[in-house]
Amino acid sequence: MMRALVALAILAVTVAAAPPRQVHPLGNGEVIAGRFVQERHLSGLAAPLRSEGRFVLAAGRGLIWRGEKPFATVTVLTPAGVTQSVDGKEVQRLPASRVPFLSRFYQMLSGALAGDWTAMEHDFTIDRQEGEPRWTIVLHPRSSDDPASAQLQSITVTGDTLVEGVEIHRANGDWEHLTFLDQVLSSAPLSAEDAQLLSAPPP
Amino acid sequence: MKIAGVIWLFIVAVATVSLLVRLHDGVQFQSDLFALLPQEDRDPAVQRAKEKAGALLGQRIILLVGDEDRANARSAGAELAAALAASDVASAVTYRLPPDGLRRIAEIFFPYRRGLLTAADRSRLEEGRGREIVARALASVYGPAGFADAALLQRDPFLLMATFLAALPTPLPRLAPDDGVLSVRDDTKTYVLVAAQLSGDTFALAAQDHFIQILGAAEEKLRSRLPDVEILRFGTVFYAHAGAAAAVAETSDISIVSLIGTVILVLAVFRAFRPLWLTMLAIGVGVVCAFAASLWIFGTLHVAALLLGVSLIGISLDYCLQYLSARFDATANTPWRRLSRVLPGISLGIATTLIGYVTLLVAPFPGLRQVAVFSAVGLVASFITVILWLPALDASQPFRHGRRLLVAADWLWSFWGAPRYRRPRLVLVGLAVLLAVAGASVFTVDDDVRRLQTISQDLKRQEEAIRRLTGLSGATEFLLLRAADGEAALETEEVLLVRLDEARQEGALKGYQALAQVVPSIARQRADGALVRDKLNAPFLAEYYAQLGMPADAMIEEADARFLVPAAIPDDSPLAALRQLAIADGPAGAMHLVLLSGVADRDEVKRLAQSVPGVRLIDPAGDVTRLLGDYRRRAVLLLGLSLLFMMPVVIWRYGWRGSLRVLVAPTVAVVLAPLLVALAGIPFTFFGAMALVLVLSIGFDYAVFCKETDPAQRPVTMLGVWLAMVTTLLSFGLLAFSRVFAVQAFGATLLVGTLLAFLVAPLTGDSSTVRARMIREK
Repeated sequence: MMRALVALAILAVTVAAAPPRQVHPLGNGEVIAGRFVQERHLSGLAAPLRSEGRFVLAAGRGLIWRGEKPFATVTVLTPAGVTQSVDGKEVQRLPASRVPFLSRFYQMLSGALAGDWTAMEHDFTIDRQEGEPRWTIVLHPRSSDDPASAQLQSITVTGDTLVEGVEIHRANGDWEHLTFLDQVLSSAPLSAEDAQLLSAPPP
Repeated sequence: MKIAGVIWLFIVAVATVSLLVRLHDGVQFQSDLFALLPQEDRDPAVQRAKEKAGALLGQRIILLVGDEDRANARSAGAELAAALAASDVASAVTYRLPPDGLRRIAEIFFPYRRGLLTAADRSRLEEGRGREIVARALASVYGPAGFADAALLQRDPFLLMATFLAALPTPLPRLAPDDGVLSVRDDTKTYVLVAAQLSGDTFALAAQDHFIQILGAAEEKLRSRLPDVEILRFGTVFYAHAGAAAAVAETSDISIVSLIGTVILVLAVFRAFRPLWLTMLAIGVGVVCAFAASLWIFGTLHVAALLLGVSLIGISLDYCLQYLSARFDATANTPWRRLSRVLPGISLGIATTLIGYVTLLVAPFPGLRQVAVFSAVGLVASFITVILWLPALDASQPFRHGRRLLVAADWLWSFWGAPRYRRPRLVLVGLAVLLAVAGASVFTVDDDVRRLQTISQDLKRQEEAIRRLTGLSGATEFLLLRAADGEAALETEEVLLVRLDEARQEGALKGYQALAQVVPSIARQRADGALVRDKLNAPFLAEYYAQLGMPADAMIEEADARFLVPAAIPDDSPLAALRQLAIADGPAGAMHLVLLSGVADRDEVKRLAQSVPGVRLIDPAGDVTRLLGDYRRRAVLLLGLSLLFMMPVVIWRYGWRGSLRVLVAPTVAVVLAPLLVALAGIPFTFFGAMALVLVLSIGFDYAVFCKETDPAQRPVTMLGVWLAMVTTLLSFGLLAFSRVFAVQAFGATLLVGTLLAFLVAPLTGDSSTVRARMIREK
């Protein structure tokens, strides 16, 4: 769970604050939508677990993560909690109070969207590297007694005006790579379906 | 007489010395209002269960510390928690959760994972919907919330443990850990939780005081640094302390006002100091003897019994004042002659009053027994002082200054007799009937025991805020479950929980807490293990592992099948509190509690409990409420009963016809008082009914005084009745301003009843004397 939250927070952070280029902070009512490809390398498994699909990140409201391959899943993260469904059938529904770190995460997220790095810097050291055509940010968890961040080794984010790749390495050798494609930043209203997913009553 | 007076002196001296010794040793006063109630349930197991549940719920202390600045809220929470933890008034102070708390909970359960299923997963497997669990596991492994690694997938392929852990019950569902501290945000503030258990008895005044003092000192220190921090409190101890503090403050306030009022009245009427100190002597002897006798009999005294008892002794002023008023009678020139004139009246008065008090003794409420004994002893002691000591200490000369007073006092008599007051009389009677009818239309009965507690509105508001912010729900009801042993108890709980869950979905209750939610029975673990093996692993595991790219034989099982038992939960775990729900788990039989919250349909929950053998619903507050209803009805019967007991005395003295006249004042007072009190919005309760028992005695006192007097002494008697009425209002009427509902209801009924009894008392007088007076006036 922490991994996902961190990834999501980074999306927002880098959108808001990735330094060199004309980055557009994600304002209220604005939405990033696009495709993702996720490759999860777990030691002991013959091949990486590869999944792809579409995502919608709505400022202040939450994230919809629609996996299309290898099967149809929808995960919705909102301040109220997490729901997950497979083939249109809900399989998991957890209120925020059941998901530790969620409230902390939302603080990080809202701080990041406002260009405030302090919440992020509480948990991570941040290295920025300028490159052409992309920049890179590397996050290392501070020595923390929080067991969730202790499992993380590093997070590397690359991007242009928007984040394009995230690579997460864990202490046990597992790692995963996320690629974001065809991203569109807009302030058009959400589709009715997405709006409904993000406004579902708290579990 | 002199010998009797000396003997009485000896008795009073003994009582005084014994009281001083007791007070010097220190007397424990009770303040738990439930101690005033009968211990109706004689089943010791049920009693123990109630005490245990009461302690579990009553010693819980929840503080929410809020500030607009998260850091301030957190530092304030930490400081308060540290202050409580460093003191000896609270135990199990919880503020910062251990950073690896979740992992520690997971570690408790993980070895037993093969037999641990959530109810939802169990029904999925039972209904052949195992594929949903497979889909969920795949979605977890692939999804953005993936936490599984190969080691976990080998040991718990379908990630059932995570689902089980997420479904564990939490008492404060809206709080979420934020950087190690349970917190919640509302629109403007961040609140952090400080939880603790009170050490010591919630209702012992000393323990309360000590706790409130420590917390208050910590808060004061905190406020010097962070003046705007908000501290919300929840816990029985806060209510108990506020109630006891209010009762103690009121006792002194009411006593002081009552005392000062009485002193001023006596000085103003008699224009001499002797009647004042004689009055004080009579009352003082009464209180000292009452106090000594009560402590000797009960060993302790309840604050409320003291409050009521002291006020009840006030009625002995009636007899004292009858005697003292006789000094205005110019024809009685020695104290002993004066006594002999009033003796018949005051003897009959005390006889009927004592009958009223003895009827109080019949009510099986321990607190009222204390009140009855305290006031009866005090009354008798005062009475004896009046007849044995007062004449000996009194001056011989009658007062000369009382002419206008006597005329004024006699006015009420002429009001009922003189033709010129015909119209006001009719208006008054009409008004009384009208008000009575209006009162009857709004007359309500309310036996709710929560009325007994002085609910501080401020604490109530804080509790509501805490419930809203944390999702804390709580009820005094619980289920008591008895079985042959711990395992059988858990199996019974599992049957029960299914039904409770149905009832919850239908809205009969909001929630429940049971040990079996955390520790399933061994039978269930065995069955769940078999379900997982046969309905999940057997059909789906190979295909699932293949999809993930794991070897088919990757699964690692625990070598031997062990089962989770309550003892496996370590004492320092936050889940250990649930273990306390097993109040007995020995070979002699097990007793478990199932706590309920938000019970909306009590009958449905009761029916449901009865449908499971060994389970019964215990509803301490509801039991007491029903009991109060029973005793309210019983008190009304007592009223009739004491009337019956008084009648032989009255008939013996006045014959049948005379008795009917004597009955007018008490009857009017007893019938009208509750109706008029209803107009003030005070419902009729057991306490109102008990007040009526006293109104009856007072009504008889006034009627008998009026009946006994001969025309020549009538103004003197009426002056005594006036003084008695005013002093009674000073001592009882003031109780109507109490914030303790029970005391208020008692006081208001007495206030109205006493006034009514006084107003109509002259009707009792001999009609011939009324006629004689009318003729004379013409």
